[in-house]
Amino acid sequence: MLDSSLNEQDYHALNAMLNLYDGDGNIRFDADRMAARQYFLQHVNQNTVFFHSLDEKLGYLVSEGYYEEAVLDQYSKNFMRAIWDAAYGKKFRFPTFLGAFKYYTSYTLKTRDGQRYLERYEDRVVMTALALARGDEDLAMTFMEEILDGRFQPATPTFLNAGKASRGELISCFLLRLEDNMESIGRGINSALQLSKRGGGVALLLTNIREHGAPIKGIENQSSGVIPVMKLLEDSFSYANQLGARQGAGAVYLNAHHPDIMRFLDTKRENADEKIRIKTLSLGVVIPDITFELAKKNADMYLFSPHDVEKVYGVPFSEISVTEKYHEMVDDKRIRKTKVNAREFFQTIAEIQFESGYPYVLFEDTANRMNPVDGRINMSNLCSEILQVNEASEFNDDLSYAKMGSDISCNLGSLNIAKTMDGKDLGRTVGAAIRALTAVSEMSAIDSVPSVRRGNDDSHAIGLGQMNLHGFLAREHIHYGSAEGVEFTSVYFAAIAYHAIRSSCELAQERGASFKGFEKSDYASGTFFDKYTDRDWLPQSDRVTSLFGGMDLPTRDDWAALKADVMQHGMFNRNLQAVPPTGSISYINNSTSSIHPIVSKIEIRKEGKIGRVYYPAAFMNNENLEYYRDAYEIGPEALIDTYAAATEHVDQGLSLTLFFPAEATTRDINKAQIYAWKKGIKTIYYVRLRQEALEGTEVQGCVSCTL
Amino acid sequence: MKDMIETKIPRAINWNRLDDDKDLEVWNRLTVNFWLPEKVPLSNDIQSWATLTDHEKQLTIRVFTGLTLLDTIQNSVGAPALMPDAITPHEEAVLTNIAFMEAVHARSYSSIFSTLCSTKEIDEAFRWSDENPHLQAKAKAILDTYAPGNDPLKRKIASVFLESFLFYSGFYLPMYWSSRAKLTNTADLIRLIIRDEAVHGYYIGYKFQRGYEKLSATEQQDLKDYAFSLMFELYDIENQYTEELYDQIGLTEDVKVFLHYNANKALQNLGFEALFPPEVSEVNPAILAALSPDSENHDFFSGSGSSYVIGKAVATEDEDWDF
Repeated sequence: MLDSSLNEQDYHALNAMLNLYDGDGNIRFDADRMAARQYFLQHVNQNTVFFHSLDEKLGYLVSEGYYEEAVLDQYSKNFMRAIWDAAYGKKFRFPTFLGAFKYYTSYTLKTRDGQRYLERYEDRVVMTALALARGDEDLAMTFMEEILDGRFQPATPTFLNAGKASRGELISCFLLRLEDNMESIGRGINSALQLSKRGGGVALLLTNIREHGAPIKGIENQSSGVIPVMKLLEDSFSYANQLGARQGAGAVYLNAHHPDIMRFLDTKRENADEKIRIKTLSLGVVIPDITFELAKKNADMYLFSPHDVEKVYGVPFSEISVTEKYHEMVDDKRIRKTKVNAREFFQTIAEIQFESGYPYVLFEDTANRMNPVDGRINMSNLCSEILQVNEASEFNDDLSYAKMGSDISCNLGSLNIAKTMDGKDLGRTVGAAIRALTAVSEMSAIDSVPSVRRGNDDSHAIGLGQMNLHGFLAREHIHYGSAEGVEFTSVYFAAIAYHAIRSSCELAQERGASFKGFEKSDYASGTFFDKYTDRDWLPQSDRVTSLFGGMDLPTRDDWAALKADVMQHGMFNRNLQAVPPTGSISYINNSTSSIHPIVSKIEIRKEGKIGRVYYPAAFMNNENLEYYRDAYEIGPEALIDTYAAATEHVDQGLSLTLFFPAEATTRDINKAQIYAWKKGIKTIYYVRLRQEALEGTEVQGCVSCTL
Repeated sequence: MKDMIETKIPRAINWNRLDDDKDLEVWNRLTVNFWLPEKVPLSNDIQSWATLTDHEKQLTIRVFTGLTLLDTIQNSVGAPALMPDAITPHEEAVLTNIAFMEAVHARSYSSIFSTLCSTKEIDEAFRWSDENPHLQAKAKAILDTYAPGNDPLKRKIASVFLESFLFYSGFYLPMYWSSRAKLTNTADLIRLIIRDEAVHGYYIGYKFQRGYEKLSATEQQDLKDYAFSLMFELYDIENQYTEELYDQIGLTEDVKVFLHYNANKALQNLGFEALFPPEVSEVNPAILAALSPDSENHDFFSGSGSSYVIGKAVATEDEDWDF
């Protein structure tokens, strides 16, 4: 590793030049392209195992146990030659160093000693297409084209694992409930280990666990509350690293009205004691509307003992709408309660976000109001975009199920908005994506956690996401967050929703089945479609109309026809859309992340496996820099407006990060949260801060340090 | 007789009467940047540490013991020695903060050690630092200047050289590792230290310049000569130290360029012109770019980043809750 460092052609140094202006004050995009090229010349090509023919390659990879034979056996030799030829015929090249580096570091199949590469990018794409198409040649060809042309990108677990013989799960994300008993907590920790080992992020709901000092078996001051459970989970995730690929990652959610809420938040304090400090576990707070109402009145907010709530109402705390029952619970003597000032609570959240970026926030009532299916949403996941209903499990003493509940899994994939728009066929692209994601659901059976398996079997929930919004808008010379930018977002997402539902309805007809509970959903009653049949969701301005030129957008009549089809035939997937933050896959796909604004013209990306690497925003050059204002310059309101336009059409959530300069105050963060809540945002992901270097201490000529 | 001895009672510090706005600006920056090593999940680096060769491990530990020594000096001698020279009570307060953070830095290296290394390796490295002639020589050169009775401005010169120059031969290595995807959490921690040291060097340099302005031309010339001769002396020691450490992995030339860059930066903090021409100060871009902690977009699942600060708490008002 060390010998090439002094070489002028060192690709890491070339890549780093992106972050340093040249003598004329221009960004050196050429240095990064050179870095990508040198990376192939100096490293990849030399370390890739060479095969004379496709037959030789596949024969070797199957016989050596690298590829899953069953995947390839579904196809004829002729077809495999055809799909590989077609893939290589597209002459794919990575446009950035980070894209190539990330792909070869984290995704491609390597020899068992990790020293040599066995796949190029095209091979990974074809194997993913073959695995997900399950023998359907036309579908396999469609998947290959959609992925290799960059319109559809499956999430990391799918793209990384598909077609490999020894692999983790294809699913991205798991959400588990914990109930107020030792069996549930023990089983939950075991599930966290099992799922972490298989490569997914896991979120757990702590809301139902009784608070610090609550009685156990009627004896007062016995319970230790949620913090020790968090400690156990944090250690579990550290232990179960995903086949060495990365640290296990987990999140925990707690309702704002849980008595341990302030302790929960304090675990992320800068000066927290080691005994209670939580370093790597992510935190999320579930906030109902009533908390905002109380803060508005500058009143105290009562916190309710989950143990007592469950005794009084006969259901776990997370099944109760705190907003609905708040005053009833306040007046109920049987429920023990404490209180904190509501505004202070919000301020504390903002303080902790300053210090750590956490907690995530779930606006519980908004999420439930907009939830088209039966049941209650009480938590989200590691990236705060999954919003699905769940059901409690009950356990016997030996940890077997007395009553199997339903937990949540979600497999994700994202469309590259720019490429999808260039493709001009939303129906085809969305249809392929929905089928690919459904395939992941149908191919997965998480037997280690039966409640998750059951949830997946019953719901076939998937999450179609989006990325490269900012890159697309900038390429079209539209400012992110401008009126036209927001208008585009609204029209685009409405069209995506239409095609996603249409595809799921087609699947229901083909499979002859709908998701469990369809008949109790707003889809079945048809009320879901009201907002699409009452008004148009079509472009207004000339600029946005021209962006959609040559494309069919769904009209009110189309929506009405879809409503009739859905009411008659049903839908196969209970959940369809979720917009994840897209870290790694947006680098490979040459996109800006998710529907966020860019964090910097040249993003400094740091991860455990790749170190510190520099990434230029998609489609940026020295001429169109004005359209690449970053998230800190754009400010929270334009970002929230954009997200609100998208949220309208997304049945699950969207990972929304807020960006502030370090000079901001907790009040600025609180104001943005209030604004987000008012605008109907469902969740907030991280708060990120940027501190400008003190004048006189900055690194000279650095792109990411100057505005 | 006892009450005849004059006890100097300090005046109560009034932050609402500032003689120099810079004191408050720097105080705010330093307090906002407060951190403790516990926040960084160093244990995520254990796997990465295992991929280093024995020699690379030894080098890394030695570099960190060298840094520990410098931070210890600055904490226990350097910053306290500057305090009596303070012109304003606010400057004194800033210096106490600097002294404390230097102790946090010294403590941080031990956190790295205890997470990654065995006791035997740690003890061996501390013995090495006690006996290494170059390391001892630079410590001595600085400590001599700090000695009581010495010229206050000379002390500031030494202090700036330590903060802005001497640390960096050590900082090079973690930055290098992190650009190679190794020890990235350790690098996060070091970047927090760099964030602090940059402000320290800048501030002490600023105070030096305020004192320097008041001198006569001859006195200024004498002091400048002193600064450059001390720089030459330290540069000479640094060169040897660098060669001893980095020769075996072939990074010496690269580190020396980095030394030139930082020597210039230290002189710039004092208000002097650069010593090394730009041709020999072109730092490897991977290292230079790695120095800036701001706007880094880290992945939360493998690290904690170095951009979070203690926020300014401001209560919301009724108008904010207008819905």
